[in-house]
Amino acid sequence: MSGGVAAGAFGALLGLGGGVLIVPLLTLGFGLPFREAVGASLVCVIVTSSAAASVYLQRDVANLRLGMTLEMFTAIAALAGGLIAFMLPDRVLAIMFAALLLYVALTMVRARDAREARGVSEGRAAAGGALAPEDGPVVGDDGDRETATAEPAIDGGLAASLSGPGYRIHNLGRGVLGSLLAGIVSALFGVGGGIVKVPVMNLIMGVPMRVATATSNLMIGVTASAGGLIYLFRGGIDPYVAAPTAVGVFVGASLASRLADRVDLPVLRLLFIAVLVVTAAQMALRGIG
Amino acid sequence: MNDARLERTIGLVLGAGAIISFCLLAIGIAGMGVTHVGPLDRPFPPFDLNRLGSDLVALNPAGFLWLGLLAVILTPSVRVLASLLGFAAAGERRMVAVAAIVLAAICLSAALGAGG
Repeated sequence: MSGGVAAGAFGALLGLGGGVLIVPLLTLGFGLPFREAVGASLVCVIVTSSAAASVYLQRDVANLRLGMTLEMFTAIAALAGGLIAFMLPDRVLAIMFAALLLYVALTMVRARDAREARGVSEGRAAAGGALAPEDGPVVGDDGDRETATAEPAIDGGLAASLSGPGYRIHNLGRGVLGSLLAGIVSALFGVGGGIVKVPVMNLIMGVPMRVATATSNLMIGVTASAGGLIYLFRGGIDPYVAAPTAVGVFVGASLASRLADRVDLPVLRLLFIAVLVVTAAQMALRGIG
Repeated sequence: MNDARLERTIGLVLGAGAIISFCLLAIGIAGMGVTHVGPLDRPFPPFDLNRLGSDLVALNPAGFLWLGLLAVILTPSVRVLASLLGFAAAGERRMVAVAAIVLAAICLSAALGAGG
């Protein structure tokens, strides 16, 4: 449970989903089989997603129509991903997860460089990060691609009906592809998939960063649920591990909202990038055997 | 039902689901402590819907843990169902169809998971 608290707090402070932290913690730290770690992680992801999306919806930040339209594809892809996960050997999954960790580390470095180039304060991103498991480190809080005035809405009426106040959706087809990828990644590795969805919505579809983050959180619950049901029925969820970890993550993410102003986030982020790289190496070694 | 009201209603559904799940899991974890069950104890109790009721009546921690985990996993589905009803009440057929497809995908996951 204390590991879950730490994972929840770190994840919320850094704007990351729990899965990136929980799966290595359970596999490398506690020796759990990869699939059981993914099963526990999916449960954690759903808990934090439900809590965060609840707040976002009541504050009218998330785009419900866009989220539901895209989650048709994330859910179907998560279904496929869940089935694939039970066909692949643990070792292969571990190596693929190591690649995912490196990708996350790389995107955090790029986001940091982008923030430094803009001279943006780090604190703002963190303040909204607690209980927002998939804030997506790829672009910062200030990485908004604002309204889609430069490009015509090529997807016609459907895209227009999914647009929100002050922005217009475009590139819906590429958004669908991104959603399919996010669903598979979620079910294979026990992550929310926000690392894919947030940049796709923000940079490709023209959704403001804040709305993309909130909408991603909304979608994560259904995506992880579709994958989680396969893990549940196929014995991939250990209740003795999943329950304490999920409660720990929830508590940790809640605590982080009170700590966000007191933490030196640039230092924490650098430390975390180093941890991700080391963890990726250990995960790859585990995969290689 | 207008969009803002629907979103607030769905937000409340999600919040309630999170709180109910949290409470059930917390009861189960407390039960683990009382019965001296550790998180890494093996084998863990398998998920069996037929045993859930009797485990709960017997105050077996596994019953509360599984019910809490079910509540966690099904909360997003309840959200989708609430959305479907809200859009149906508003006469938005396209969004009703979208919600129905999402629900169907979730049901298919459960069926394929149980069937495997």
